[in-house]
Amino acid sequence: MASIAPTTIAENVHGELAGFWLRLVKSPTGLIGLLIVLTLIATALFAVWIAPFDPLQMGAGPRLQPPSAQYWFGTDDFGRDLFSRVVYGARLTLQIGVIAVGISLTSGLLLGLVAGYAGGWTERVLMRLVDVLFSFTEIVIALACLAILGIGLTNAMIAIGIASIPFYARVTHSVVLVEKGKPYFEAGIAAGAGHVRMIFLHLLPNVVPTLIVVGTLGISTAVLAAAGLSFLGLGAQPPEPEWGFMLSSSRDLISRAPWMMIFPGSAIAITVLGFNLLGDGIREVLDPRQVMR
Amino acid sequence: MIRYIIQRVLAALVTIWITTIAVTLLIHAVPGDPVRIMYAKFQSTPEQIEAVRIALGLDQPIYIQYGLYVSRLFQGDLGRSIVGDQPVLDILLTRFPPTLLLATTSLVIAVVIGLSLGFLAAYKRGTVIDVGAMVLAVLGVSIPHFWLGLLLLFFFALQLGWLPVAGSDLRSLILPALTLGLANAAVLARLTRSAMIDIFDQDFVRTARAKGLPKTMVLYRHALRAGLVPIVSMMGLQFAYMMGGAIVVENVFAWNGVGRLAIEAVFARDYPLIQGFILFFATVIVLVSLVIDLLYAVLDPRIRYS
Repeated sequence: MASIAPTTIAENVHGELAGFWLRLVKSPTGLIGLLIVLTLIATALFAVWIAPFDPLQMGAGPRLQPPSAQYWFGTDDFGRDLFSRVVYGARLTLQIGVIAVGISLTSGLLLGLVAGYAGGWTERVLMRLVDVLFSFTEIVIALACLAILGIGLTNAMIAIGIASIPFYARVTHSVVLVEKGKPYFEAGIAAGAGHVRMIFLHLLPNVVPTLIVVGTLGISTAVLAAAGLSFLGLGAQPPEPEWGFMLSSSRDLISRAPWMMIFPGSAIAITVLGFNLLGDGIREVLDPRQVMR
Repeated sequence: MIRYIIQRVLAALVTIWITTIAVTLLIHAVPGDPVRIMYAKFQSTPEQIEAVRIALGLDQPIYIQYGLYVSRLFQGDLGRSIVGDQPVLDILLTRFPPTLLLATTSLVIAVVIGLSLGFLAAYKRGTVIDVGAMVLAVLGVSIPHFWLGLLLLFFFALQLGWLPVAGSDLRSLILPALTLGLANAAVLARLTRSAMIDIFDQDFVRTARAKGLPKTMVLYRHALRAGLVPIVSMMGLQFAYMMGGAIVVENVFAWNGVGRLAIEAVFARDYPLIQGFILFFATVIVLVSLVIDLLYAVLDPRIRYS
């Protein structure tokens, strides 16, 4: 028995995975989202070849040039090529999304799993604390973290990561509560499985699908939040080619050089849209009841 | 009902209590010496730094600091700001009304646009209108507040010259409120659509239609009323989003509320002001959610009689 079970599960997962991708690209939302996200990843990976100029090179062209054949997105007030800066910005943005969500997802997941599995007082105290944090709103938690850590892009990523922990903890907790009521859970306990085994081998795999959806949508929230903090001057610092920061430096030049505002802003919006659509698409595939609506 | 009210009020008080602890601990979480960091810009002697430490009570054990903080709190004393040396509560109270005005105006805009769009999409489910409304909503969720603000600023203030770029009068309120309202209308539209679709599928709506009631009556008296219940339950969260969003939007439009104040305080590392802001902001959000939850209980008989 023991030798058969793993292969069948693996085969199932393999078959399901192929079906998953097929169904994902068949839904318009999923396909558009996937394309945008893949483009973003490619841009980040191949920035060196895509960008015609060094993103930090001042005087790559004349100052405040409107978009042209040579400078696709125009130049900024230091004569830097905006297209190159936006391309390199994709790297920072992906990094922010992955790191921030990584922090909040792992911590929230652990909190939610432990609280939901343990029940009783542990659950009550942990979830009450999560509720309190949740009611602060993410931006206030992020500001508090930045007040403690000091400003800067790395600290902003950490702050955003910490700020979203309550959200992921809540989601995980609610899924665990549902899973705990299912027969396989009781069977596991009855068969004498230990706590670690129950949490990581039985509960975790059933929590993952929901967290993939929430995590993908979460990247868009993290990207928005980081751009917002950089826009406020609390995140990326000059001369980093971060989109939110680029937007904030366009503010005083809006009427003279609107392209400085239009391109970085569009980049943020398209990226966020991409992760939102991809998240929605994955949800449709994983939970077909949603599509029927 | 009484039990529900007592539970909610207690939960709100616990939240505020935990906030006071968090706020006291905040200054101790700062790596290095917070007093030196705060006074880094000023020329100060070690004696002056020591005097500030004593004035802030930072030389005391932490439980005594907490006790002092709470006892001052009950006298309405949130300490004095480092920059400008003014009572923190006074600063917060002067800067709060503009934020409240912005947040409530935006909430009204979000509710009017979001509810109508969501309702329309649900009613015309599967049609071009539904798809169009939902595309708009997804776009609205994806566009950053501050970029939308800059775009509106560019078109309505700079290109067309219809509205002022910044200021504190009512005309200056239009652009920031629109920015914040439109962004949140998108969230509400999606929510309303799914809530209304659930309702339209339910038996009582079908029954109302089957017994021959006029369509508008079924829509407004039966469906909309029931659909509003889950939407109202989200209002507390919506208000919290609105307050959070205000922090960013205020900075785009130089709107002189607590949001701008908070950013200034973080930049200046003005810890008494940051602590005061967090406590104040959290308390406002907790109290508003409490009021909304109680209203919700009045609206939904399932809670009222449980």
